[in-house]
Amino acid sequence: MALSRTAHIVTAYGEELDQLSDDLARMGGLVETQLEKSISAVVRRDASIKADIKAREVQVNALQVDIEKRVLRLFALRQPLATDLRMTISALKIATDLERIGDLAKNIAYRAGDLAGYAPMALTQQVERLGAIVIKQLSEVLDALSSADVEPAVRVWHSDDEVDERYNTLVREMLMSMTEDSGLVGPGVHILFVAKNLERIGDHATNIAEAVHFMVTASPLVEDGPH
Amino acid sequence: MIRIRRRDTAAVAALGSLVLVLFWLFGELGFLETVVAIATIAALSTFYYLTVSTTINPAVGNQALRARDGDEVDEAQRAKVMLENLPNPVLLIGAGGRIEIANPAAREFLGLEAVTGHLSAVLRQPQVLEAVSAALRGQTVAPVEYSIMAPVESHVRAHVAPLASRRDPSMPWRAMLVLSDETSIKRADRMRADFLANASHELRTPLASLAGFIETLRGHAKDDPDARDRFLAIMFDQTERMQRLINDLLSLSRVEMDEHVPPNGTADLGAIIDDVVDVLRPQISEKSIELDLQVEPALAIGDRDQLLEVVMNLVENAVKYSGAGSTVEIRLSGHLGRDQAERPGLTLGPEASRLTLAAPASEPGDHFVAIRIRDGGQGIERRNLPRLSERFYRVDGQKSGPREGTGLGLAIVKHIITRHRGGFTVESRPGAGSIFSVFLPMPESSRKNPD
Repeated sequence: MALSRTAHIVTAYGEELDQLSDDLARMGGLVETQLEKSISAVVRRDASIKADIKAREVQVNALQVDIEKRVLRLFALRQPLATDLRMTISALKIATDLERIGDLAKNIAYRAGDLAGYAPMALTQQVERLGAIVIKQLSEVLDALSSADVEPAVRVWHSDDEVDERYNTLVREMLMSMTEDSGLVGPGVHILFVAKNLERIGDHATNIAEAVHFMVTASPLVEDGPH
Repeated sequence: MIRIRRRDTAAVAALGSLVLVLFWLFGELGFLETVVAIATIAALSTFYYLTVSTTINPAVGNQALRARDGDEVDEAQRAKVMLENLPNPVLLIGAGGRIEIANPAAREFLGLEAVTGHLSAVLRQPQVLEAVSAALRGQTVAPVEYSIMAPVESHVRAHVAPLASRRDPSMPWRAMLVLSDETSIKRADRMRADFLANASHELRTPLASLAGFIETLRGHAKDDPDARDRFLAIMFDQTERMQRLINDLLSLSRVEMDEHVPPNGTADLGAIIDDVVDVLRPQISEKSIELDLQVEPALAIGDRDQLLEVVMNLVENAVKYSGAGSTVEIRLSGHLGRDQAERPGLTLGPEASRLTLAAPASEPGDHFVAIRIRDGGQGIERRNLPRLSERFYRVDGQKSGPREGTGLGLAIVKHIITRHRGGFTVESRPGAGSIFSVFLPMPESSRKNPD
């Protein structure tokens, strides 16, 4: 009955850090869903999800602002050290990367609207496959973030090569079919942009993996890097 | 809680009154003053008691009172045991989105180790988190559906309900979250759609080529006997291919139709293998494939025609995917225990990947007869193994040409084997070939006196 547990200074600090990781996880979930929806929209050539994606985009941006505020507050009031310091700094970085991923997913969704005007293409299957890998990357790295686990983060970091490889194959094949059939140039360009965006999302996932690694181990992730 | 307040208040008031009475007895206070002071204390305590009892929800007090009773405790214990044994994931989310209770099913489903922590750390789905936040504000929310694409595709429906909390009046609501996995329903639905799309696609290709040739034959190739002969040969191939596909489709639906009717009668697998080898002799010698047969006579419970189809499909595949001049091994062995039947004596080494495509629910003491067919092909990568028995699935790079299979063979094998209460496994290593094995229960009679 006396003092509430949360009124205690140290507990409140822990609570604030908890809130920060909660916000990050929420933001990650939003971005993940956005990406899944926009890829499936491209595959189904569905223009109707634009509005939904836009609404999510607003939420993602609000969360990013919120996370920045929280980080500033933590720095100003608590002067975090060691793990807490790394966690706060990483949260800031990860939020930025997530926001970028959200933007790219939004671009992909817009391309789905443009693709709706064309006939279905065989190469969208390849986009779906590339998308599936990128979704997996993002989901694994977000899991790594939630569980503060380095091993999956390192795995994601290494498997960025696979994304690049798929992307290059897709571009090559797309160019080939475009030279054969000039009718494919219109939708082909949209597909190429979608693929490019996916490849960029893969890079952002790698950045997040690096941030998670730094957060947990205090050492940067460098060896034979993916680039 | 309220009972404690009442007792405390009464005790303090009584103590105060006692002191006042003592003062009066010792003559320190006049009678009137004492009575007025005691009346004031009594009024104040009553006022205090009333204030307390209206700020705390009276229902809370009653519940807490009743929870003391032995029956209620028992009830709570029973409810807890039921929750623990519930196969559906159930979670109770407290203030701020913290997980308060997670039953074992939920812990397994979400990969939770400790119960503490935010829900968002294990379930990032924005719709679910929004629904939970709404429930924590006391709103009722409609069930939400969400899909996860990685690491395994799954579709889940989440039911969220607000629960009134008894303990903490400042945080009056908790959210109950019940998850139900609907992946299999969604998958079945998609498989049906895929099947239709694939079947029509497979039929359309030979049909389009037929139409093309007919048009040419009516047009400028009308008076060209050479072209006509060549075209007719191709057209014949295409019709054969369509025929094969339709036969396979029909046989698949036939097998599926009586999949739940166990077969009766016995079949001599040795004789079946001989028949199959005789039929396939031309293909085998055409590719100069060496056949290594080790067949011990064995009977299996089953329908001879269907088992012939199984062996035919497997040996035909082995011949088709083996390189020219390589060896195809066929082994038939009987009187095997379940373990021996499932773990083959013939293996491709420790690096090979294995997968069971169908397995029976067998009783200990059952005896099996197993056929293993090893090809001299390229082998199949691990990631492709689970999809082998899918309809129309072909491992990367195999296109459906006029001489290739329909993509239904292994699906048919799987269904027949399932009907026969048998097992179907595949083992493969890229570069070393693949082994397809099926095992079937042996009839009771041949078990007693093995010949």
